[in-house]
Amino acid sequence: MSTHTIRVCCGTGCIANGSRGVAAALREAAARAGAPAVSVETQVKATGCHGFCAKGPVVAVDPDGISYYQVKESDAEEIVASLGGAPVERLLFRREDGTFARGEADNPFYEGQVKIALRNVGKIDPLSLGDYRARGGYEALEKALAMAPEDIIAEVEKSGLRGRGGAGFPTGTKWRSCAACEETQRYVVCNGDEGDPGAFMDGYIMEGDPHSVIEGLAICALAVGAEEGFFYIRDEYLVALDHMARALADAEAAGILGDSVLGSGRRLRFEIVRGGGAFVCGESTALMASIEGRVGEPRAKYIRSVQKGLWDKPTVLNNVETLATVPVILKEGYEAVQELGVGRSRGTKTFAMVGKVKNGGLVEVPMGTTIRQLVFGNGGGIAGGRPFKSIQTGGPSGGCLPESLLDLPVDYESLDANGTMVGSGGMIVMDDRNCMVDVAKYYVGFLAQESCGKCTPCREGLRHMHAILTGICEGKGTEADIERLEELGFTLKEASLCALGKTAANPVLSTLRYFKEEYLSHIQDGFCPAGVCRALVVFGIDAEKCKACGLCAGSCPASCISGEGKQPYEIDAARCTACGNCRKACHFEAIHPEKRMAV
Amino acid sequence: MRSITITINGIECACRAGDFVKEVALAHGIAIPSLCHHSALPGQACCRLCIVEAGKPGKGKSVVTSCVFPAEAGLEVETDTEKIRRLRTNILELLLDRAPLGGGALAGFASEYGVTDPYTPEHPDEKCILCGLCVKACEKLGNSAISTMMRGIEKKVGTARDLPAEDCIGCAACAKVCPTGKIACTEAGGVRTIWEQEFALLPCPVCGKPHITGREYDWLKARFGADGDAGGTPFDAFDPRICPECRRRTSSAHAGTLPASP
Repeated sequence: MSTHTIRVCCGTGCIANGSRGVAAALREAAARAGAPAVSVETQVKATGCHGFCAKGPVVAVDPDGISYYQVKESDAEEIVASLGGAPVERLLFRREDGTFARGEADNPFYEGQVKIALRNVGKIDPLSLGDYRARGGYEALEKALAMAPEDIIAEVEKSGLRGRGGAGFPTGTKWRSCAACEETQRYVVCNGDEGDPGAFMDGYIMEGDPHSVIEGLAICALAVGAEEGFFYIRDEYLVALDHMARALADAEAAGILGDSVLGSGRRLRFEIVRGGGAFVCGESTALMASIEGRVGEPRAKYIRSVQKGLWDKPTVLNNVETLATVPVILKEGYEAVQELGVGRSRGTKTFAMVGKVKNGGLVEVPMGTTIRQLVFGNGGGIAGGRPFKSIQTGGPSGGCLPESLLDLPVDYESLDANGTMVGSGGMIVMDDRNCMVDVAKYYVGFLAQESCGKCTPCREGLRHMHAILTGICEGKGTEADIERLEELGFTLKEASLCALGKTAANPVLSTLRYFKEEYLSHIQDGFCPAGVCRALVVFGIDAEKCKACGLCAGSCPASCISGEGKQPYEIDAARCTACGNCRKACHFEAIHPEKRMAV
Repeated sequence: MRSITITINGIECACRAGDFVKEVALAHGIAIPSLCHHSALPGQACCRLCIVEAGKPGKGKSVVTSCVFPAEAGLEVETDTEKIRRLRTNILELLLDRAPLGGGALAGFASEYGVTDPYTPEHPDEKCILCGLCVKACEKLGNSAISTMMRGIEKKVGTARDLPAEDCIGCAACAKVCPTGKIACTEAGGVRTIWEQEFALLPCPVCGKPHITGREYDWLKARFGADGDAGGTPFDAFDPRICPECRRRTSSAHAGTLPASP
């Protein structure tokens, strides 16, 4: 008799790819196979994210250590039948050299990953308190209850843990300042308003391991002497909201939270507040205004939230990933975090790697891992084998780094020194078909929409930056525009009210720093080398490379590509709308952007 | 509060710890430009004109917002450096472009800094610079009838759904604090028109001059009247219908009947 557990990823990404159907099919198949004649006991578990989102739905089999990718409902029968025997080879991950990886242990995507914040995500049923406790859950809280607050804070300080939400403020220092306040009515807040395009680690932690975040906030509350806390979660995170709410209810029912935490007589009450979809409410003071029911606008932070936060009471606000790390520090000792990382950046950081990377997903690596390792090691390089051009880190107000900085270690200080930031951990990989002016325009446009509009530089400056960048992309740019962008960037950085405004110029300033020639091609030559800015580009066919397959003509919505027989195809430049479909369709690199001539 | 000394432009200024730098400067005759600051409605910090360079000796200076930056002992402040003038010029350009017809203080600072609009304004008739003072005045003195709406580049000030607001009592506090003359408020024939509503004005019971809107009087009475609390003083003794000029006369006559201050 052998026992197997089949873990099906039911994170938001895999759900979108049909993983709930796969889980149901596996359950049915297992039930059918469970007839007396079969000596296999099977449990099917819907878990959080396994990380390898690009190849979802992901299904793993324990204790065999097998991982299957892009699993369909129709594969269920075969997977169940194979239990205890050889794995279903066609569903395994195929490495670059054509060989198959049996599971996470020999899959390059997981190489070098150390899972601390994600330790349970993908491993347990997030809705099962029993699963969480079976892996040592709430042991750290139990330990914390027996410790003096001062000792909890000291342990967190020694770990070197810094805020994972972006600013990187030392967590222990923050807790200590709050604990030292005279005012005894204090609050703790978990920031789950993750809003950066391309970032999803906080959402996936809340989905996949909600109790770890609750435990982290509970320990924080004990350390700073708070009895009340809030989880501020963005309303778009349906699964995260659901799982957090159910986990909170379960924790209360089990006496982990409530009037006597684990029988200690200590009181802890946590509540969920749903964010209404404003990006700026991820900023701590705007978030607190929002919890209070006021307009979600930041305030100047000369008087810090640890002194006067929610309802003017001392308040500690920590990010989801930070809080998910806290129980590990208490349970296993500060060394678990402190021994990893580089310089002042200790522990691990979770990154959401998306864009043109081959194997995108959620990776957790020690601080100081190089960008090259992330993109080309874990990520497997650029999709379609195209050349790497840039990586955008830190969310919309982060910056774009060039190929020459691929060996840069990813930590707070190194990224900051090079014009970008760790931020919440979004990483967007770009290839030679991304125009950096267009990328800067996209982010500035996003921020102009999402700025709260309170202060002049951010509201008006971003509007003008967006107008100038749009002009450059349309071929109306001048060299004076570059100076103007730099001057506006300087004004935003120095004179904005909050961190959103102070960093909002990063996408422009970093692309001007590393990709200035691309701006100049737009301005001086009226040409977009990446073939993105449609006002400046038409596509042409290289007759030598064209195999006359006709795929381009079939993909052209303007019907401006013609060709017959074995002759190279041709594009009628006058009618080309530069949509780029033909270039995407071509398998032979025969289609390239050319300068659009004035009519 | 502890009494401390800070240095502004080389001048030693005595103040209390926690006083805002802009107010300390003003008390010592140093003007720092701003458009969103009002001593009675502090904490806006959104126009950004009042930025200064400040820091502790030997620690370098950074750009801070003087209207909300708390003074602490030994702080050194420079209000008019080259960097600050450059930033203020850029901010004024942005404000002028946003509100080309913004008069009053905005126009004054623009001419002081020699700034003209280098851009093409999107709304040539606009006067509002979104300083938020009107919203704050309505919140503190009125009935929160107006608010900022939308966000980012779409942000504006208005009544709910841009309809005449039931909550508006026509007190015109918003119009009085507006630094650019954006909020139209007219009075003719005993009627005040503001936020697209007409409010009948009550005559001052002493001189007969129209002074307060009926809605404001009713609202005050409901809040502070018979069952309300006017700090222990009967509501009628401070009849808000009395205009400011007459109040000055009646208050001094009335002073003898008030309880002695503690």
